[in-house]
Amino acid sequence: MFFKKNKKKETSSMANGEDTRKLDKRELIDEAEDLINTIDSVSGDERIKVLNRIGSLYFEANKIDDAIKYYEISISENKSLGKAYTELVKLYNIKRKEAISKKDDESMKQYMEKIDRLLQLSKDVIRGRG
Amino acid sequence: MVIVNFIIKNILTQASITIALISLIGLILQKKKVGEVISGTFKTLLGFLVLSAGSGIIVQSLIYFGKIFTKGFGLQGIVPSIEAINGQAMNNLHLGNEIALTFLAIFIVNIIIARFTKWKYIFLTGQAILWMATMTTVFGKFAGLSGAPLVIVGGIVGGIFAVAMPAIAQPIVRKITGSDDIALGHFCTIGYIFAAGVSKLVGDKTKSTEDIQLPKGFEFLQDTYLSVGLVMIPLYIVTALFAGAKFGSQLSGNVNYVVYAFLQGVQFIVGVYVLLAGVRLLLAEIVPAFRGIALKVVPDAKPALDCPVLFPYAPNAVTIGFVGTTIGSVIAMFVLPMFGLAMILPGMLTNFFAGGTAGVFANAAGGRRGAIISTIAHGFFITLLPALLVISFNKMGFINATATDVDTVTAALLYAWIITPILKAL
Repeated sequence: MFFKKNKKKETSSMANGEDTRKLDKRELIDEAEDLINTIDSVSGDERIKVLNRIGSLYFEANKIDDAIKYYEISISENKSLGKAYTELVKLYNIKRKEAISKKDDESMKQYMEKIDRLLQLSKDVIRGRG
Repeated sequence: MVIVNFIIKNILTQASITIALISLIGLILQKKKVGEVISGTFKTLLGFLVLSAGSGIIVQSLIYFGKIFTKGFGLQGIVPSIEAINGQAMNNLHLGNEIALTFLAIFIVNIIIARFTKWKYIFLTGQAILWMATMTTVFGKFAGLSGAPLVIVGGIVGGIFAVAMPAIAQPIVRKITGSDDIALGHFCTIGYIFAAGVSKLVGDKTKSTEDIQLPKGFEFLQDTYLSVGLVMIPLYIVTALFAGAKFGSQLSGNVNYVVYAFLQGVQFIVGVYVLLAGVRLLLAEIVPAFRGIALKVVPDAKPALDCPVLFPYAPNAVTIGFVGTTIGSVIAMFVLPMFGLAMILPGMLTNFFAGGTAGVFANAAGGRRGAIISTIAHGFFITLLPALLVISFNKMGFINATATDVDTVTAALLYAWIITPILKAL
């Protein structure tokens, strides 16, 4: 009895939550798209910050491929061990899991190799080769 | 029958062929194209033989070093180098075949544990598994095991370590990374836990290592081999000077004894260079093949990755960990002989990777102060454990070398202190 009630409540609150999330997601994507328009007008550290912010917004909005795209640009332009690196490890791992559930061997291999490259980057940057 | 016997006696007893066949199976299971299977198998074979050639060079150099060190200082100077142990085990003790099979067995046991228990860790650092296979094989042999039991026991012990070490480290890894997505696959974990424990006791978590300004990179560590050379070459020269011109010249022939010492120091680095190039070639095909299989068999696996994965979370802690561990290992070098143990020379590669990671763990547990104090203790700890193994290594005929990675040392001590007495009592 109690269980059923709770479940009902939970379902309704989940529905509300989903609405909020959808709304939030749209806002996050809008903000990311606004920032994309500004990328070419900034340079240096500021540009890296913007790229990382776009990656972060897409990650929050669960747009994994877009998040990877901007974090990868960030790390290719600035080989450092900051947010782009740590977020990419998480993102690649998400993609790897997705590939396994889809039985997509090629993608799984591709994302494990990307993780390998991050490990190498970490070694290089710490040694000052970044 | 004659052909089967020939294959068993002459081909399958060759370690390089065994490991190439393991790679072949992995590549076939991955449904690779024929060309890729052939090239992958050949590269593995080549890798193994390059590794053996490198270990031969290291051993020659260490024999010379052992002689001048004993003459110069009146005690045994031990170089901590898991590469040298691996090389001697393969070349001098002819355990290459068993090591190759144990390597495979560890992988299989790891997959079985991850598949059927709640510990979903798949250990993906191939090099570390190779070192673990080396140690379990060497100490298993010393305990009296041979053939299939040697490989199976090694596989079980190594496989348990491959799951247990990432599992033990995970609570702190979670704290460091802020997520449960990845795990740490590096067989120095007991040292990291030790460092974190000491750091928690003496540290202050409110002040992180990352709030201070430190030099950006280690220029002298830009090259692995340069960093090894910076320690080994002066060590060879100073030792030769202590051994004296008369003794040194007996070994150096027509070459000046100091120049000869310099060249032998360089030879050691050449050996490490060749050996590691062989390891890379050897593992480049096997590891991707088997990790593909492992991650398919265990779909919800947690990949346990090599230690540099943690460096980005606290780069300053890596620097502090490296420096602290080096200080600790230098202290241990002088202190341990006072207690009748061998003099273990500092191993720069271990100090860098294990020390750096210990710094990250220590910072997570006890901040800046904890990291400084505990990594010095870590340096002492990771020198003490290999020192305890020296007696066993000497009995087995190893020349002036001991193992480094503390989890593999712990596995070896498990054999020496528990498995061997039990087997001898039976």
